[in-house]
Amino acid sequence: MQEKKIAALLGIMCFLLTVGICIQMRTVTSTASRMGRTYAENELRDSVLKWKEKYDLAYDNLETKESKLEKLRESASKSSETSENVKTDLGKNNMALGLTEVIGKGITITLKDAEVAINKLDLSSSLVHYSDLIEVANALKNAGAEAISINGERIVNPTAIACAGNIIKINNEKVGVPFVINAIGSPEKLYGALTMLGGYIDKLKDDGVTVDIEKKDSITIPKYDGVYKFEYAKVVE
Amino acid sequence: MIYISIIIGCILGAIIGMNTPVISYTYSSYLAIAIIAALDTVFGGITSVIKKNFDLKIFLSGFFGNAILSIALTYLGERLNVDIYLAAVVVFVGRMFTNLAIIRRHYVDKWTNKFAEMSHKNKKEVKE
Repeated sequence: MQEKKIAALLGIMCFLLTVGICIQMRTVTSTASRMGRTYAENELRDSVLKWKEKYDLAYDNLETKESKLEKLRESASKSSETSENVKTDLGKNNMALGLTEVIGKGITITLKDAEVAINKLDLSSSLVHYSDLIEVANALKNAGAEAISINGERIVNPTAIACAGNIIKINNEKVGVPFVINAIGSPEKLYGALTMLGGYIDKLKDDGVTVDIEKKDSITIPKYDGVYKFEYAKVVE
Repeated sequence: MIYISIIIGCILGAIIGMNTPVISYTYSSYLAIAIIAALDTVFGGITSVIKKNFDLKIFLSGFFGNAILSIALTYLGERLNVDIYLAAVVVFVGRMFTNLAIIRRHYVDKWTNKFAEMSHKNKKEVKE
């Protein structure tokens, strides 16, 4: 009985042992690692095989990660493209709405009331009126001015130039003499348009208003401080 | 009886071992050292059977304990960059030779006794 037990146990042990030996032999032959002549050679072959295995693993990993990255990059580029577009659009729109400070070459016009009345019968004509500012601004716009400000008040779409007694209101801000009108645009064109014979500036000068026009290389025009409100207007879809 | 079971185990193991999947080369050095340890234990087991002091508990614990310890030592050696598995191989193979020597002596003695008896008998017969 005891001997049978021992025999069975030894048989099982040998079975396990042989399985192990066979697996090991097949592993070694399948990885084509023949015993080298020197120990160093063996070591090298060993490490090469190990690294090869690691490399294969890492390569698989890399492939999956790369495909992931590609996807991420695609989505990222999409979003960045749109955000870039949105940014430039926003910049352009803000400039068109006068919500950003702008700089460029243009002209500066200074209007002052006449110091000595030329026409004593009509003193009023010697003063600068809101209508004069409107006319000048209109003339500047007609001549291609890209941005206009009067005494630091940007002329934008909702800007109103209104008479308020002894002062003038622009963008609901009070402005007074002297009126400094800055305009960005081609200085030659603007200058020519304003100073043409029979033009509005000519008429003002005749009335005794002091008019000073200067061409400038760099004019900074401030942004519009107000808020655009749309209560009744809606975008047509 | 013992040898028959050993041979059957070896044949079965070879058949199954040939059909199992191959393990990763990285772990083959561990398996190798475990095989050496197990081989040592089997020879030790045979020796103890011959000496008639076979203990099941010692045999089993030796089989698995030696294998696991040698694997652990190999792993440690790899971490420390010292070839500790060489020491394990030396010890196991040395013990294997010792055990083999005991087994060999046992059977050589057995057979010489047998031959001596046989020749003694023959001589007696011749004399007669």
